[in-house]
Amino acid sequence: MAKDMLIAATLGKPTPMAPWVPYAGVNCAFLIGEQADRYFKDAGLMAKGVVTAAERYQADGIPLAFDLSIEAESIGCELTYWEDNVPSVASHPCDKQLPDEAGLDLPEKGAGRWPVLFEAARLIKPELDQRDCAMIGLVCGPLTLASHLAGVRIFTALIKKKAFAHPMVAFAGQVAARSARFYAEMGCDIIAIVDPVASQIRPETFREYVTPNCQEAIQVIHDAGIPSSFFICGDCTKVLEEVCQVGTNAFAVDEQLNLNFVRETARQYQKGFGGNLKLTLALSLGMLSPREDALISLAAGGNVGFTLAPGCDLPFDTPEDHLRQVVEAREYYNEYYPKYPENP
Amino acid sequence: MEDKIKIDVLTLDAVQCAACTYMMESIAALPDDVQALIEYQEWSIKSKESLKKFMELKGKVLPTICIENDRVFESIIPQYEELIDALAERAPSEEMRTRLLTLRDGEFDFDKVQENLAKAGVGQKTRAKE
Repeated sequence: MAKDMLIAATLGKPTPMAPWVPYAGVNCAFLIGEQADRYFKDAGLMAKGVVTAAERYQADGIPLAFDLSIEAESIGCELTYWEDNVPSVASHPCDKQLPDEAGLDLPEKGAGRWPVLFEAARLIKPELDQRDCAMIGLVCGPLTLASHLAGVRIFTALIKKKAFAHPMVAFAGQVAARSARFYAEMGCDIIAIVDPVASQIRPETFREYVTPNCQEAIQVIHDAGIPSSFFICGDCTKVLEEVCQVGTNAFAVDEQLNLNFVRETARQYQKGFGGNLKLTLALSLGMLSPREDALISLAAGGNVGFTLAPGCDLPFDTPEDHLRQVVEAREYYNEYYPKYPENP
Repeated sequence: MEDKIKIDVLTLDAVQCAACTYMMESIAALPDDVQALIEYQEWSIKSKESLKKFMELKGKVLPTICIENDRVFESIIPQYEELIDALAERAPSEEMRTRLLTLRDGEFDFDKVQENLAKAGVGQKTRAKE
C-alpha cells in the first residue's frame, strides 16, 4: 500500500495520506557507521545503508543512490571522493572540446560504478519490496551533467556560444536517457531526473536546453511503464512553470520555495509534487523543530499528489533523531488531521 | 599591498549541491590575472558559523555570490563577463576597475580550480557539529 500510495502521489492523484520519501543518500553511510568514500564504491555497503535507512526512517520510497557523479564518472570525469560527502567532479573533459572531439561515448553497463549500482539494486530491491518501499532511481539531468563535462563555462556558452552548448547538452541528454534505461532495468519503481543547476538559469534558457534534452530520458522511463519525476533545487521560482511542462509526472523542490505556491502550481498542471522539509535549519542543524517543520509541510502539501520529502539529499551527519521527529509528526498528523472536515 | 575585492559565496555545500558547486567554480575558475585581485570564501550553511555570515549578508537564497557585501548573483550562475563587470563595479580603485575591464575578453581557466576551491574552504566545513 505504501509503495502504491507513493506511485499514486507521483502521478498527481489523491492519496489517503502524504507518502514519505527521505532522500537518504550519503546519510546512509553515516547511519551504518561507514565512510562515504567506501560506501559509494561497495554494493554491499550500499545495500546495508539503504535498507537500514528505509527501516529506521519508515520510508515509503527511498533512492537507490543520491549521487550525481555516477554518469559523469562513467564517461570520463575524474572524481574526488570524500569521507563525509558525496563524490564531486574534479575534471571537465569537455572544457574546451565537444564530447565527440574528446572521444567520449555513451556509458555501457560496465563503465565506472554502474556495476556497483546494478549489484546494489539486485540486493536492495527484494528487501525494499518486502517492506513495501519503492526503490527510486535518480538520473543526473542534462544541464548538471553538461556542467560536469564542460565546467562552469557552460553557463556562458548557453548564451554566447550556442554552437558549443547545444551539442554538449544534447550529449548529456543522451547519457541521461541511457542512465534512465539502466535504472529501469534495475527495477526502480520511480525514476527521477535530477537537474539542480536548472534552477540557476533563466526560463527561456531552460526551455531552449533543458526541456528538449530531457525528452529522450522521459520517453525511456514512460515506455518502461514507470512514473517519472524531475528534481530541482535552489530558488527555482522563475522556472517552475517550465518544470511543470518538462513532461514528467511529478517534480520535487527544495525549501527555498513556498509550498502553498508549489501546490497550487502543481495542481494547475495536474502534477505530483514533493518537498520541502528544511534541510539545514531543521533536519541538519535542528535550529528549527523538525517536527513543526514537518507538520507545516504536511498541512501545506495536502493529500493530492503530494509527497513529503526533504528539500534535497540529506547531509552525511544528519541526526537520526531529527528524522524520527518527522516520522512522529507524520503519524500525529495522520491521526488527527482526517478529523477536519476538508483537506486543502 | 593593494586591497582585494572580497567575495563571499553562500552555499548549501559546494560539494553536495551541484548548483552551489558551479556557483563556487565560477569564482575559482577565474583566470590568474583576476585571481590576483580577489579573495573569497565559501560559507556552507551546514555550519552555524556560516549561518551567521548568511544572516550578516542578509542572504535570501542559496547559492548566492556576494561581492563586497552586496548580494549580486542570487540563484543565477553568472557568465564570465557578468562576473567581471560586477567585480569592476565594486573595485576599490579606478586603477583596479580599469584593469578588470581589460580582462573582460578572457575566459574561465580550469588549471587551478581544485587548488582555488581548497583555498576557499570547499568541502572542509560541512559537518553540523563543527
